[in-house]
Amino acid sequence: MRYQLDLTLRRAEGALARVLGTTERRGFQPVSVDGETQDDGDRWHLRMTVEGSREPESLRHQLAGLYDCLAVDVREA
Amino acid sequence: MNGARWLAQALVAEGVDTLFGYPGGAIMPFYDALHDTPQLRHVLPRHEQGAAFAANGYARASGRVGVCVATSGPGASNLVTGIADAMLDSVPMVVITGQVPTHLMGTDAFQELDVFGMTMPMVKHSFIARCVEDLPAMVGEAFRLARSGRPGPVLIDLPKDVQVADAAHLPPHVSSGTDVPEAPKDASLHEALALIAQAQRPVLYGGGGIVLGDAVQAFRTFVDATQIPAVLTLKGLGALPTQHPLNLGMLGMHGSRAANLAVQEADLLVVVGARFDDRATGKLAEFAPHARVVHMDIDACEIDKLRHADAGVRGDIVTTLTKLTLPCAAHLHGRHGAARKAWRAQCKQRAQQFAPRYDAPGSGVYAPALLKRLSELAPDATVACDVGQHQMWVAQHWRLDHPRKHLTSGGLGAMGFGLPAALGAQEANPDARVVCVSGDGSIMMNIQELATLKRYRSPVKIVLLDNQALGMVRQWQELFFDRRYSEIDLSDNPDFAAVAAAFGITALHVDRADGVDAALQALLDAEGPALLHVAIDTAANVWPLVPPNRNNAQMLDPAVDDAFVAPTRTATETPHALPA
Repeated sequence: MRYQLDLTLRRAEGALARVLGTTERRGFQPVSVDGETQDDGDRWHLRMTVEGSREPESLRHQLAGLYDCLAVDVREA
Repeated sequence: MNGARWLAQALVAEGVDTLFGYPGGAIMPFYDALHDTPQLRHVLPRHEQGAAFAANGYARASGRVGVCVATSGPGASNLVTGIADAMLDSVPMVVITGQVPTHLMGTDAFQELDVFGMTMPMVKHSFIARCVEDLPAMVGEAFRLARSGRPGPVLIDLPKDVQVADAAHLPPHVSSGTDVPEAPKDASLHEALALIAQAQRPVLYGGGGIVLGDAVQAFRTFVDATQIPAVLTLKGLGALPTQHPLNLGMLGMHGSRAANLAVQEADLLVVVGARFDDRATGKLAEFAPHARVVHMDIDACEIDKLRHADAGVRGDIVTTLTKLTLPCAAHLHGRHGAARKAWRAQCKQRAQQFAPRYDAPGSGVYAPALLKRLSELAPDATVACDVGQHQMWVAQHWRLDHPRKHLTSGGLGAMGFGLPAALGAQEANPDARVVCVSGDGSIMMNIQELATLKRYRSPVKIVLLDNQALGMVRQWQELFFDRRYSEIDLSDNPDFAAVAAAFGITALHVDRADGVDAALQALLDAEGPALLHVAIDTAANVWPLVPPNRNNAQMLDPAVDDAFVAPTRTATETPHALPA
């Protein structure tokens, strides 16, 4: 299954690596990644498409648990 | 006031009283600052892994944040196993590593290593202080995160130039405290209550989250009020006293028959701070096949991760259990009261029927009997285990009355954990009686910490069960690899009593069952640190055992299984002989 992730992150050292690493370690493969800093410069807005056979809700919980992750939405792509 | 001194003062403000660390080039300013911070007791293990495990043991035994310190490069990388252990067992730790100066970071400088990157999968969070002004927020967040919610390790990487930078303008540190745990939603409590009310064969499945959530008393009250039989995970042991009539023991691969059969026959599992770990569930698809699931956990990630929860109750476990105790107890004699009474009787009957026996034949030392006896002789003891057969024997046979008295590397299963963890537990509770149970494989992984026990006169009592083999691997090779023994022979072990004596530690030895009581008493009576070397049978195995890819009802146990044929060794098999 393919899923679309929409994330808001702190623009902190390691935040992007943490999101990508968590996604892969939890069994989802990134298909596309796109993002930019937001207007205030303190945040990243990140969009990812991922593939995986595990429950997407589980990935959402894992990403939401990251300190630098301020918001995450997961939906079927 | 430089950054290092500010940090030392901040640690004091966070309530830190003990650090476990090892100095080196990139952390020298911090070590210099320790001269001016007498409130911080620094313990110097003889290896950074020992420092990490000691901080880990300190945290497990006390519930406070354990702090360890190392320099950059090899100092930092040597901490990694101890950090990973803390992550997998949710142990609150703050790890401080020195780093090369910021202008050299990313240049392959001497002792430069990206510890921030390499530990990313095994920390709750991590920071690099790029300037001294970063420190106040980072230190506060590190401690808050380490101890809030589901605890875990947090790393602060501290470049040397940040340590020496002027910090006079920084405000004194004020602790951020600990987050108030989120309360469970009423709707989830109602769902849980409805399922519990309908159950005829309920079982409580308690894990490490009970002690992490300070919910031991709430759990006991719940058990006593509802009279629901309980099984415990390795990390949940002690949440009920071993001898509690509703405690069916540990579940899983080396769990008790009574516990595993209860779970397999239950119509409801009430999971309290446990996570369906594969060592607990066996073949997941066949785990508790008739049961609906109520899952209580502080961490939303665990609910529905491996097993669907019919009612997921996310939030503080104390609040959850407290709010459910009276409503659930009301069903004790309700519609299914008779069925539940029969279920309890069946569970208790099985617990008696399959209780371990300690009347092993022969004159040699039977390790389970020795461990049971030691726990009876020292009922107040905190026991820190290493990893292997002896770890499972402790889990099965030690009489335990609180989870904080059982320090075991559950998730990571890290050999070498026991001795430094015992050191840390003793530092946390100087007046406590601390016992380390180790094996001849495990103890050699951090045997240098005998020197640390000696230096600090730490009165840890070590029981070294020596079977001259990597026993758990040997057992698996015997049972599942056609006795093709591969690299498990340790028959060239050193004379452990002589090794202990060389470190200045009292050493004792026993190799006969009739000498066990006297040897244990001598160990407990010894002044300061002491080691009891116990020679045991190389062929001794841990039973019961759920084989891989089997469900938990399919336990192997020669004591109760008439069809079980114990593997026999032929004269041509010399698994423990050394190469000529």
